Amino acid sequence: MELQAVLMAAGGGSRMMDLTYNTPKPLLPVGNRPLIWYPLNLLERVGFEEVIVITTKEVQKALSTDQRLKTDVKMRLDVVCIQEEADMGTADALRHIQQKIKTDILVVSCDLITDVALHEVVDLFRAHNATLSMLMSKVHEFTETVPGQKGKKKAGEQRDFVGVDVTGKRLLFMANEADLEEGLVLRKSIMRKHPRMLIKTGLLDAHLYCLKRSVVDFLVHNKSVTSIRGELVPFLVRKQFSKSLNSQNATEDTEKNQKQQDAHHNFELLSTSKDEALLQLARERSCWNDHRGDMSEAYHGGKLRCYVHIMEEGMCYRVNTLAAYIEANRVVPKLFEDPPIHPSAVVSERSLVGSDSIIGPSCQISDKTSIKRSNVGTSSIIKEKVKITNSIIMNGVTIEEGCNIQGSVICNNAMIGRGADMKYCLVGSGQRIEPEGENGVAASTDPLSPPPPHPFNFSTSPPPTFLSSLSSWTRLFGHNL
Amino acid sequence: MAGKAGKQSRPRKAEKDEEEQPLQAVLVADSFNRRFFPISKDQPRALLPLANVSMIDYTLEFLTSTGVQETFVFCCWMSSKIKEHLQKSKWCRPTSPNVVHVITSDLYRSLGDVLRDVDAKALVRSDFLLVYGDVVSNIDVSQALQEHKQRRKMEKNVSVMTMIFKESPPGHKTRCEDDDIIVAMDGKSKRILHYQRAQALKKLHFPMNIFHSGSDEFEIRFDLLDCHISICSPQVAELFTDNFDYQTKNDFVRGLLVNEEILGNQIHMHVTKDGYGARVSNLLMYDTVSSDTIRRWIYPITPEANFADQEGQSCTHSRHNVYREPGVSLGHGSQMEENVLIGRNTVIGANCTISNTVIGANCVIGDNVTLDRAYIWNRVHIANDVKVKQSVICDNVEVKHGVVLNEQCVLAYNVVVGPDITLQEGTVLSMHHPDEEDDEDEDEFLSDDDVGYSKDKTKQKGSCSSYLIMCIDDDIMFPGLALNPDPESDSESEVSEGSHDLGSHPASPELDDVKVFQNEVHGTLQRGLDENISCDNLVLEINSLKYAYNISLKEVMQILIRVVLEFPFQQQGAQISTAQYSSHLLPVSLLKKWAPVFKNYVKRPQDQMDCLASMEEVFLERETHWAALVKVLMSVYQLEILEEEGIMRWFKQSSTTGKSQQLRRNQGLLKFIQWLEEAEESSEGDE
Repeated sequence: MELQAVLMAAGGGSRMMDLTYNTPKPLLPVGNRPLIWYPLNLLERVGFEEVIVITTKEVQKALSTDQRLKTDVKMRLDVVCIQEEADMGTADALRHIQQKIKTDILVVSCDLITDVALHEVVDLFRAHNATLSMLMSKVHEFTETVPGQKGKKKAGEQRDFVGVDVTGKRLLFMANEADLEEGLVLRKSIMRKHPRMLIKTGLLDAHLYCLKRSVVDFLVHNKSVTSIRGELVPFLVRKQFSKSLNSQNATEDTEKNQKQQDAHHNFELLSTSKDEALLQLARERSCWNDHRGDMSEAYHGGKLRCYVHIMEEGMCYRVNTLAAYIEANRVVPKLFEDPPIHPSAVVSERSLVGSDSIIGPSCQISDKTSIKRSNVGTSSIIKEKVKITNSIIMNGVTIEEGCNIQGSVICNNAMIGRGADMKYCLVGSGQRIEPEGENGVAASTDPLSPPPPHPFNFSTSPPPTFLSSLSSWTRLFGHNL
Repeated sequence: MAGKAGKQSRPRKAEKDEEEQPLQAVLVADSFNRRFFPISKDQPRALLPLANVSMIDYTLEFLTSTGVQETFVFCCWMSSKIKEHLQKSKWCRPTSPNVVHVITSDLYRSLGDVLRDVDAKALVRSDFLLVYGDVVSNIDVSQALQEHKQRRKMEKNVSVMTMIFKESPPGHKTRCEDDDIIVAMDGKSKRILHYQRAQALKKLHFPMNIFHSGSDEFEIRFDLLDCHISICSPQVAELFTDNFDYQTKNDFVRGLLVNEEILGNQIHMHVTKDGYGARVSNLLMYDTVSSDTIRRWIYPITPEANFADQEGQSCTHSRHNVYREPGVSLGHGSQMEENVLIGRNTVIGANCTISNTVIGANCVIGDNVTLDRAYIWNRVHIANDVKVKQSVICDNVEVKHGVVLNEQCVLAYNVVVGPDITLQEGTVLSMHHPDEEDDEDEDEFLSDDDVGYSKDKTKQKGSCSSYLIMCIDDDIMFPGLALNPDPESDSESEVSEGSHDLGSHPASPELDDVKVFQNEVHGTLQRGLDENISCDNLVLEINSLKYAYNISLKEVMQILIRVVLEFPFQQQGAQISTAQYSSHLLPVSLLKKWAPVFKNYVKRPQDQMDCLASMEEVFLERETHWAALVKVLMSVYQLEILEEEGIMRWFKQSSTTGKSQQLRRNQGLLKFIQWLEEAEESSEGDE
């Protein structure tokens, strides 16, 4: 076994709380499959037979009961639960399962949906005997209007600066704009080794990493590292160009320093694996090196190397925001050739279901209903004369007759009363929208212009439950019911 | 007169057809620095021979071959010599495709002066090439010119200059550490964003504003050699006039980049991979460019081409790049190994070994002489048994019997050395006393570089009939010919960086942010109270603060609780009594008012726990006010911010410290819990 796959599925989805309030992120339906299915499928496609899934109890329960997932995923899932309250970072999680890790690892996040040829990343890892290789992709612009979001997307988000060499593979530099207030500083020695550095912004880190086993050992020794992306990766990237610390005089004697040195020392030692000598010999005998301009040895003698594969085309989403969630739902069905209408769904012949929509198992779609560019989840009931466009209807939703739903997300088990008219709305799970006349009709202004500040105006005074959805964005939620 | 005419006709013509204007060039035949001192004392740099041809001829040949039809040569130092040289050359013949005008003035002190004069005289009509008189190149600039014009057309007068660079990664021979530059450019538009000489820097610093151009791909290049060829628009000359403090090209480029946002002028770049372009800016470059010429890197400009078309200069080219002009006589047993050029009528004695060497015209070289990487100019006499390694010997020098010249020696004009003396590395001999130079023009030249130039003013007596100038700072003459990158010196800083990488990094900035955030939240709430701002807006503000300081949701809640609970202390001073405290905070006033704010942040059961934990934390710090805790809890319970379950769970939590256990044993609290339990039971009973 060359690589062990580790799937990180314990994240809370803090950037899309509205959706993850009741449904843990890995179980959010995307194209009528739970989100976690996509990374699992990615791994299965390239031939992994076993995967370690780090997740919460709740998800584990769902995984073991979800029949569809069971039939879809043939791989052996080794589920490791961590406590939700423990607030563990991804690096903590790796440390938690270190006993299970025997080889180099491939770490995947549960919110990754991509059609990348995974071997590209692994090949970099193999070819250069790298310590880290990771996947990035061009950021997708989200075109869909996001329900309940005020104005355009927040401008001036902090960009990541990623520096690669001229081949676009070797990862030389990584920093967030927030840390670069003083300006971008590079050591001349790095520039001397890699005289041409491409600095790219607008890249999405797919959170997919190949890591050497020694890195896990390093984590075991350095308990202060909690997150892979936040701390470990930037550290490894920086470490590429620092000298080995073995030669340093040990007189710097503060205890902490000493401890850290030991850790570094360990790291240094462990990264030279047993066949290192052979590789070294091969490199000495070969005239190959990885750069032009001089004849010095390959990689300039550096032992630690980080690589990145940047997807130029293809699809890569991280479903960690509402916008990404909606976009993924729109794009994903095109990738997997499932029948758009599940055989167990009951669709009236006198209804109109567009080919760009998918209907989940055991749905009931009644007469004179029109569904376009939308996903309808498992066991949802849609009554007569309902019009749904550009929307995501999760599982077990009931939509009474005469509703008009556009550009909205309706979470699990919600109930939409008769005659509701909603545009760009977000309805929380289990939420009930009372029928017309009793509770109000959603009326909205022109949907084509950027979403109005309050897309939801109730003609009658809203019931108290709605008041308690406190967010400044207009959403319908029952968190505080 | 010509100037006036030009000025009047310029606007009309320029609008009509800028394309058809003949290409013009401005050639600056003065270096405005002293890097070639003391050689340049007797001869201007542009006229120094490089592979037996004056450097200015290379420059003019390059300009002509790239399509320049009119060249203005600006001279200052020894302008008469340059003028004389040009008048004799093929450039001033009527058949020359390139019309050369020589403009001289003793007042030029820098490139800036020259360009200001260009503007004053209105010499240029459209885009022109700007080069120095010591540039050797075979680059075809037409493509760069095309790009430049394209850019000028697309956005009128935005791009004012295109600099031409040659790709040469570190370690390349034609790179000299003196002229290392670092360039940051926009990946797509090839716009220069940052330009810096990197010679003495260990860390390269790029200001953030260069990355705000809207592009998402930038390139930082350290593998470029500035060819000192630039395509300029007439605006460049105007800009020099407007900014009288611009002296050098460096000033200009830096000034333009810094003021890009204000003035809106941009500089672009063109990188050539195959072409050759280098400026002979010091003796190291002289060495490199000479050997490149002989090794035919600058093809079609090669020694045997005799492009300057001077009589008697045509030479033959044989294997191993050995070139011989007519009339060379080679003694018995002498060998010309490789890369050798020998000028006309030079006589070489017996048993000499010559390699990688250029010898000028009418030289006499004795027997048993070894020359390696020697550059010997005209009419030099070298006696028997002389050894020369990597040195420059100028016109009319006499080297007597048994002299050994080690690396990087310079014998300036008319020097006589020997016999039987060994010159150490980096010795410079000249007939001029170093002092006489200093008095005359100490600050006269404003050079492109700020490198100082120190001399050892010892006068060496004995067998030399000249002054010795020891070049202490031999970086300038022959900057340590083996380029020695200094990885060792880098390592130190790396180590120190590495050690604080993990430990200290996360701690300090976070702490500050949290502190600042707390103050901000306090300020927000205070303002909310004063100006009666609605809770929705308060939430908005807190949310935006959250993003500004990158605070996690959990921390926001903790800080919010802390701020609210400490609010009375802040307002009334820390000494207030418990009663005062609770009356201040309690339902009627503060807590109730801010309840919606809390509700926004306290949603999940976990949030409630965190919320309680931070409450506990606050009260642990203020033992005297424990009584108030119950009241606070009561009111948050009544306001439905916290639920019974959460409070119960928190209460039952096995506390870690003795103090918090003590807190839980507080009378009031116990009562409250008891009340809660009963309420729970009763509510269960109801159901």
